[in-house]
Amino acid sequence: MEVRQGEDRVVLGLHGELDLLGAPMLEEEIAKVEASATTILVLDLGDLQFVDSAGLRVILAAHERSRREGKGFALTQGSDQVQRLFTIAGVSEHLRIIGSPDDLLV
Amino acid sequence: MPNSSQGEPVEAVVDPGGDVATGLLIDAGAVLASSLELATTMGQVARLTVPGLADLCVIDLLAEDGSIRDVAVACSGVDLAHELEELRAAYPLDPQGEHPVAGVIRDGEPVLLAEMSRGLLSSFAQGSEHARFMIEHGYSSAVVAPLKARERTLGALSTLRLGDGEPYREEDVELVVELARRAALAIDNARLFSQLRRTQEAESFMSEASRVLASSMDYADTLQRVARLVVPRIADWCAIDVLDEQKRIERVAVHHSDPARLELAGHLDRDYRPTLDEPLGVPEVIRTGSSRVYTDIPPDALAEYARDNRHLELLSSIGAKAVIIVPMIGAAGPIGAITLVSAESEHTLSEADLGVAERLARRAGTAVEHARLYTERGRIAHTLQQALLPEALPEIPGADIRARYCAAGELNEVGGDFYDVLYHGAERWMLMIGDVCGKGPRAAGVTALARHTLRAAAISGQTSTQMLHTLHRALRLQPPGADLCTVCLVTLERTAERARLKVALAGHPPPLLIDVDGHARTIGRPGTLLGVLDELELAEEGAELRPGETLLLYTDGIPEAGRSHAQLGEDGLIELCKQAPSLGLDALLERIEHEALQRASGSLRDDLALLGLRVCDHALPGDNI
Repeated sequence: MEVRQGEDRVVLGLHGELDLLGAPMLEEEIAKVEASATTILVLDLGDLQFVDSAGLRVILAAHERSRREGKGFALTQGSDQVQRLFTIAGVSEHLRIIGSPDDLLV
Repeated sequence: MPNSSQGEPVEAVVDPGGDVATGLLIDAGAVLASSLELATTMGQVARLTVPGLADLCVIDLLAEDGSIRDVAVACSGVDLAHELEELRAAYPLDPQGEHPVAGVIRDGEPVLLAEMSRGLLSSFAQGSEHARFMIEHGYSSAVVAPLKARERTLGALSTLRLGDGEPYREEDVELVVELARRAALAIDNARLFSQLRRTQEAESFMSEASRVLASSMDYADTLQRVARLVVPRIADWCAIDVLDEQKRIERVAVHHSDPARLELAGHLDRDYRPTLDEPLGVPEVIRTGSSRVYTDIPPDALAEYARDNRHLELLSSIGAKAVIIVPMIGAAGPIGAITLVSAESEHTLSEADLGVAERLARRAGTAVEHARLYTERGRIAHTLQQALLPEALPEIPGADIRARYCAAGELNEVGGDFYDVLYHGAERWMLMIGDVCGKGPRAAGVTALARHTLRAAAISGQTSTQMLHTLHRALRLQPPGADLCTVCLVTLERTAERARLKVALAGHPPPLLIDVDGHARTIGRPGTLLGVLDELELAEEGAELRPGETLLLYTDGIPEAGRSHAQLGEDGLIELCKQAPSLGLDALLERIEHEALQRASGSLRDDLALLGLRVCDHALPGDNI
């Protein structure tokens, strides 16, 4: 996972698999960003091959928190498997998907 | 100045002892440097003095417990040497007694006994046999010097002349003292070396024992291997006893290098098992949690301990010279004991071995406790698992219904998948399958909650959508950060020859409808998963199942099997369904499960659950083959 500080946001770039083992690490990084002054968090899923329900839970929890606190939260498009999971989970309409990590959040 | 008026020549007298002394010390230097073995060193020192300086040379060493043991004797007559060694063993010198060796060891000062009368010999003899020995062999003159190194007296070196030999003089004492000083250094080094080796051996033994103890959860097997590790390195016998739930002492392991002797132990174990209330031995150690060391076992002590003659016979034939019993301690106190016995071999157990034995027993105690907890948790997990799955699936007339389940993780991990089939009244059944994200006891709790909430909601007559909302609300009431849950509900209504289905999905993979040619398609519209977001979007979609057609519900462990490298995927699953026409329902489920396991290369990271229903051809209730 890489952490990139942008102008108005922090971008967390995920690679490979996001599952039960890796989810806690992502959770930690997200918590750090949420505790900071940054108001926009982007998860760059471009390189993410696989995500399971554990990873999904971390993403959804972050989404809910950002909604409650009025902060920005978005994801870039992931692999087919990742997108399929979002669809099946019925959350693709809820999550904000952007084209590239630095796009404006509309 | 004497006046030799007679003209007799005055010869300069060269001290004849001078050259001999130097020669002896030079030899001593070479010999003493050549070995670090204690026994060898002692023997060499003794032999140096005979016959040049003495007819008989004896080295006595002080042991750790203050007794005088470890003797080396050198003499031109080998028999004499052996006899004296045996005498020493039978009648050891009393450290507080009159014997000059004891005196020199106490005072640290050399002693010259220029002429020893019979009376003197008798006065310090250790018994009449000893006196007779000394008189018979003509002990006449002796020098006894202390062996001192690093400011401690290690023992004494005695040089003796027998019979009519020339008595020792004052001048000889210095030489013997010097020799003794060098010998003491060599002996001290040899002892340090052997201590170092023992410590290293103990370390290497402990690390091997730790490896054995950590290697398996089958503690009976592990303890048997520990016993084999101990024998004969540390002791001739090793026995391990463990306290069972009924507070009975169970012998879990016993070993001796000779199988015939093992059989002997078998008789003792079978016929004379100790009970916890007995005063001595293993029961005492287990009750008190303190070690016991018996280094000298008098025969009458054994007789007292034995329950009958046969018991005494068996105990005596073990031939124990020394016994160490150490407690194995668990979290709540002693849980067993390890018994070490030295019998036949040279090395006798002593206090020095207690340290290693206690360390071993502590680790063994921990290992046994862990193994027991592990097995106990496994039993609990298994019981819990039963709460998540129905014991048996109900019969649906005109249809075959089967399920398969594979929990990921070890014995102790309870899965997050659940499924159920409920009769919903009036030819209606409810099939459900769900997945709670997470593992471990908390996830298991949520899984049980999910299954039973859905059951209760169904029984109280709620529609599928209502049931899902109910579960969602129940999950939201859980403490924050709770696990999310996906569910697939299928209501099935039996009519004349077909089944009408209504599918409601909450974040769960859609079920497959497989036709008679093996073509599979998904049914159901995606719905929001439960427990996380505030708003749910749920819908029901209808379908029909005709005779010979199969409905397949599954959890994501199936398509996700093989992860990113060889993932089965929804496509792979649909591909497998092509085999449906040629396989019975159970066989089809098995095929799918097998494929998933293959892709996961035997190590599942997620549970697998499959629930299948096939409408029979009206003429053949049961599997289509």
